[in-house]
Amino acid sequence: MKFKKSITCLLLLVSFVKMGVTQNIPSRPSPPTLVNDYTNTLTSDQVNAIEKKLVAFDDSTSTQIAVVIVSTLDGADISDYALKLGRAWGIGGKEYNNGVVFIISINDRKINISTGYGVEGALPDITAKHIIEDVVKPNFKGNDFYRGIDEGTNAIIKALKGEYSSPRKKDRGASGTKMVMMIIVIVIILALSSGGGGGGSFMSRRGYGGLGGAMFLGGGFGGSGGGSRSGGFGGFGGGSFGGGGASGSW
Amino acid sequence: MSTSKIILIGLASFILIICFWGCNGYNGLISADQSVKKVWSNVETNYQRRTDLYSSVIKTIEGSANFEKSTLKEVLEARSKATQIKVDINDPASLEAYQKAQASLQGSFSRLMAVAENYPDLKTTAAFRDFQTQIEGTENRINVARQDYNKAIEDYNLRVKRFPSVILARLFGYTDKPYYKADEGTEKAPNIDFNIK
Repeated sequence: MKFKKSITCLLLLVSFVKMGVTQNIPSRPSPPTLVNDYTNTLTSDQVNAIEKKLVAFDDSTSTQIAVVIVSTLDGADISDYALKLGRAWGIGGKEYNNGVVFIISINDRKINISTGYGVEGALPDITAKHIIEDVVKPNFKGNDFYRGIDEGTNAIIKALKGEYSSPRKKDRGASGTKMVMMIIVIVIILALSSGGGGGGSFMSRRGYGGLGGAMFLGGGFGGSGGGSRSGGFGGFGGGSFGGGGASGSW
Repeated sequence: MSTSKIILIGLASFILIICFWGCNGYNGLISADQSVKKVWSNVETNYQRRTDLYSSVIKTIEGSANFEKSTLKEVLEARSKATQIKVDINDPASLEAYQKAQASLQGSFSRLMAVAENYPDLKTTAAFRDFQTQIEGTENRINVARQDYNKAIEDYNLRVKRFPSVILARLFGYTDKPYYKADEGTEKAPNIDFNIK
């Protein structure tokens, strides 16, 4: 089972890399950031201001809103692009799928707000459409990208607020017990492989035990995709998307 | 230690490994089968969501006076046909029938929308604008759900067909399942455009 898991993780990783190449979707930022401007449309102060706001929202509600500004979609459909990016980066928590992608393609003049499975209720397509049409677009038309994004994210936060309470602590607790379990199992396997005394069975048993340990490590590694909290944003949680959201163009 | 003992132990560990592999492979089959069921229910949910949306649009149109009845009737018929079909994902014929019914429902609905274009008081309402957004989102969801379904099917079918897991699949009666093919002539999400400016 664990073996399958680690293989799947590997395959997933590979497929992400492949996807990044074929679809020209930017790879997950490292260190992770919620605001990713690949076009230098915003000044670094503006990026920091929005980032700070979104990180604070993530800290208090665990809902992750990622702002992505690209120059071109290379002909891809923007909602498709946003979906793939959201899934590849794993925006939102794995358990709650509470991520939002707010993507802007400058040259295509297109906007999309995509919602993870968990926020489709709090931020329905209609609300996303209204935010794009009534809040973001007027500002973009006046070339005020910062204001459009700032007010747009405010509107998204407003829509999401109150409808979602913080599950982050629970998340971490779960991964903690997982770690402990992993360590226990590894210890048992090690004990078995070294303790199980001589004879012909020794070789085969050790072979199996050692392999088991390696499998387990592999599985564990794949699972802990976006950890390492360093001051600001803690990393994406592995949330998934199902095509919800709305698009528009200015 | 005698040779026979070594052979015995070797045989025992070989059997153990086979058992281990068997359990593993069987569990893998089960989980692949389950995930196919899960993603399929997602496809059905999203089609249901679209049918519900269509229904509310139809209600709005029915309410508006002297709307052309023939296109409306066509949609209603297509809808009742589509909702009657029960899919067994092990049965390619039922999946195909379902897909056809959904496609024809969508086709007749698009025609209804084209007719609705001639009723300016209808298409300019805020409710209609919201319908458009919702239908767009639902079509996206359907596309995603179908892609996810096909991915799960691919994984499942590989397990069922590939050696050595094919032995287990045969043993426990798992056969390959049909893919959800793209609708004929509509590989892309349909373009339902109300031309609202």
